[in-house]
Amino acid sequence: MSTTSDHKHASDTWGTVIFICLIVLAALFLAPTIGVLLSAFKSTRDIALGDLWSLPRSLYLDNFAEILANPSVRIDLVNTLLVTVPATIASIGLGVSAGYVFAKLPFRGSDLIFLGIVSGMFFPPQIILIPLFKLFNALGLIDTLWPMILIHSAMGIPICTLLMRNFFATVPNALREAALLEGVNEWQILTRVALPISLPALAVLATLQFTWIWNDFLWPLIFTQSDDKRTIMLGLVSLRGQYTVAWGVQGALSIAASLPTLVIFLFFQRFFIRGMTMGAVKG
Amino acid sequence: MESHVRFWRVVLLAPPLLVFGLFVLWPLADSFRYSVSNWNGFSADAAFVGLDNFRKIFTDPLFANAILNSAIWMAAALVLPVGAGLALALLLDSGVRGAGVFKSIFYLPICLSSVVVGQIWIWIFQPDWGLLNTAISAASGETFGYAWLAKPGTALYAVIVAWSWQQTGLAMVIFLAGLTAIPRDLLEAADVDGVAYHKQIAHIILPMLRPATVVVIALSVINSLKGFDILYIMTGGGPFNSSDTLAMFMYDESFKKYKMGYGSAISVVLFVITLTIIFVYFKELKKMDEIYE
Repeated sequence: MSTTSDHKHASDTWGTVIFICLIVLAALFLAPTIGVLLSAFKSTRDIALGDLWSLPRSLYLDNFAEILANPSVRIDLVNTLLVTVPATIASIGLGVSAGYVFAKLPFRGSDLIFLGIVSGMFFPPQIILIPLFKLFNALGLIDTLWPMILIHSAMGIPICTLLMRNFFATVPNALREAALLEGVNEWQILTRVALPISLPALAVLATLQFTWIWNDFLWPLIFTQSDDKRTIMLGLVSLRGQYTVAWGVQGALSIAASLPTLVIFLFFQRFFIRGMTMGAVKG
Repeated sequence: MESHVRFWRVVLLAPPLLVFGLFVLWPLADSFRYSVSNWNGFSADAAFVGLDNFRKIFTDPLFANAILNSAIWMAAALVLPVGAGLALALLLDSGVRGAGVFKSIFYLPICLSSVVVGQIWIWIFQPDWGLLNTAISAASGETFGYAWLAKPGTALYAVIVAWSWQQTGLAMVIFLAGLTAIPRDLLEAADVDGVAYHKQIAHIILPMLRPATVVVIALSVINSLKGFDILYIMTGGGPFNSSDTLAMFMYDESFKKYKMGYGSAISVVLFVITLTIIFVYFKELKKMDEIYE
């Protein structure tokens, strides 16, 4: 979707001015991220001496070595994966199911239910924090990974339903009717006709949901206590509590914790952006 | 045939509605119940206290402080990500070289966790070797050691800047999508008629960007109410509650002081505020649908 210069506001001079403006802005915008990258390759002593913002003279890898040697980092990463993967799959599955009904099997009042579900993504999670705390307490699930898996599965339903309904709405009804005439049931239409052509929408949702759930902080903060149950974002914060000045190690862990979502961003950016603009609601 | 459809409606809709109902709708309703109780988070029973919590809210200076800070954050959200996102989108839409790369750079912060973003910006504002103070020292020639996050006068604004850094890319992308929807021949016709670019922006582009603007504004405002993680990381609402927002205040009262009844009352207020914004937003969207269809 690159804008070609058929539209000629960018005359040569203006084009250059805009280009330079953007270079400067991009440098400013990248500075924070570059700072973290640099910190990961510097010793805490160097950083404290005010040497964070220069290029490292030698490849200093002790921070990464320390992260890799730390068993709790591994546990945190595994826990995060154990929450993110099932919750991503569950929320998309539930969204597909609901989206299909709203798009292809509408009924009286279904638009209202749809609107109710979709508006669910606007509310700050604080609104349901206390009752959920009480609920999971009663279920004996505090300090397990279950609250995060269940909540993210539920909180993902609005965006997944919205995107899937909009996608399914573009699937021609004739396709469904032809399949029905051949005696195929609705479930088979969904799984064999609608889903195979929805791969782009599923990819959009997979990237969005994975990123959000991976990056989440509030729910593990509320629902986990012990070190071997926390997720990586909580691990990052607790590392800061343990060594307030181990900046280099914090930088290295920040990078390790962001790696999965950065990879998604680099390879599936188009899906990600499409999802954000279509849903245009979370963040 | 109709019974077939009815059967699959139920089968397909029941699981999502059940999960959504159990973990979102029911807790929402429950919040109202706790907001009229004095539950402390541990005891099995809680007494009904009527509207005491709400009465307390409106006399609590900490609540007034939190709502003022949330309002400041919201106002800033209308200016910073929205303005910067629009400016970036207009620059990128000019057919400039490398637009795709620039777009990725401005969008990158979105995929980072608020925890990491908070961490990054703590280092920008770090008094001794942070980027900001290093730059100010270099520019002024004197050592500048202001502790941005530790001073009540600047803590909230520092967090808002960090938050806006993350939100700008989202606003930019939505504006860009809006810009591609503007018919090119309209702008070319304006070019032919010799209409200056700044006039095209004011009289063609901005009016036609109205739908995108409504979405971006609504998103920014709503996300400002959701801003919690980054605040928790950077200041925790401090120093001296100077950067406390409604979301932070609710968390503190409920999970630090264990006043869950009072916390629930705060979340009810938060709910009502969000509901009002969503209501206005949906009304605007509907109005636009009528105009643009």
